[in-house]
Amino acid sequence: MRRNVLSAAALACTAVLATAMPAFADDPSPVPDTTSAPTDSGEQAAETGPSPVPSDRGAAEATPAPAEERDGVSVVPRGAPDTGDAPVAAESGGDGLLIGGGAAAVLAAGGAAVFVVRRRASGA
Amino acid sequence: MTPFSRRAVVAVAVACLVAGCGGGGGSAADGPAATGTPGNRTPAAAGSPVSGPRPLARSVPVGLEIPAIGVDTPVIRLGLAPDRTVEVPPITADDPAGWYRYSPTPGRPGPSVILGHVTVGAYGDGVFRQLARLRRDDGITVRLENGTAAEFAVTSVRTVAKADFPTEDVYGDTPRPELRLVTCGGPLEDGEYRDNVIVFAALRATAP
Repeated sequence: MRRNVLSAAALACTAVLATAMPAFADDPSPVPDTTSAPTDSGEQAAETGPSPVPSDRGAAEATPAPAEERDGVSVVPRGAPDTGDAPVAAESGGDGLLIGGGAAAVLAAGGAAVFVVRRRASGA
Repeated sequence: MTPFSRRAVVAVAVACLVAGCGGGGGSAADGPAATGTPGNRTPAAAGSPVSGPRPLARSVPVGLEIPAIGVDTPVIRLGLAPDRTVEVPPITADDPAGWYRYSPTPGRPGPSVILGHVTVGAYGDGVFRQLARLRRDDGITVRLENGTAAEFAVTSVRTVAKADFPTEDVYGDTPRPELRLVTCGGPLEDGEYRDNVIVFAALRATAP
């Protein structure tokens, strides 16, 4: 009687372990989709190419999506883009006004000089 | 002998049960780690790219529309400058936007990068003058050379100091089709803008 009970317990343990084994083996199974497909990404092809079935979890982490679907940036530029040429109107507005005013003053002074000279010439 | 044998068998049975449960628990705990890429990539990695619109075929962008800020502009191609920084569009009136040609074409998986000026010197406002006004879910449509179009939805808008430009966030790989719009912003310091304005967007629809 006791032997039967103990045998049943041992059988139950075996059944538990037998059902646990597929769970252990289940982890890598989604990965072949990502590794068996052709890839156009050089680095990832190097990581995943050698074996269609990854042997470690690192490969699974490196290929979360099919390689053929991932184009990526092939050359990463340096630094930040300079996408703003500062507006010059505000900066040079004062200078432009100054230059224009100076030119007008010179013209006015020249005109006045010519006027005075002609008046003197006509008066003499 | 009989009690000892019984205890031994019971101990073995308990050990077997613990080992079985522990194995199952470990497997479940390892699940998230298998898709454990950092930050915002986890959902996409777990959900696969097919959860959104189908990626478009490769075709270079030729036009960009952002109705929320009145942008409708042609798109030119940009490469790298000799100093390995990204080229920018020319300083002209009605300056165009430019697509960084070493990034994916819009609608392909990965970050497609488009740049434009905020101001263009004597010509005044640039094509991306109002970029910082964009808000989440605003639409961005990129027309491609083959006649198709990719419609993106804004996911976030960030203003960052140029000194802290988030290279990985802008150019880093993404499993789904995304878009980055980049311009300058912030205050002028010695004639140069201090910051960059970056719009992050994800593919919402494709046409036809």
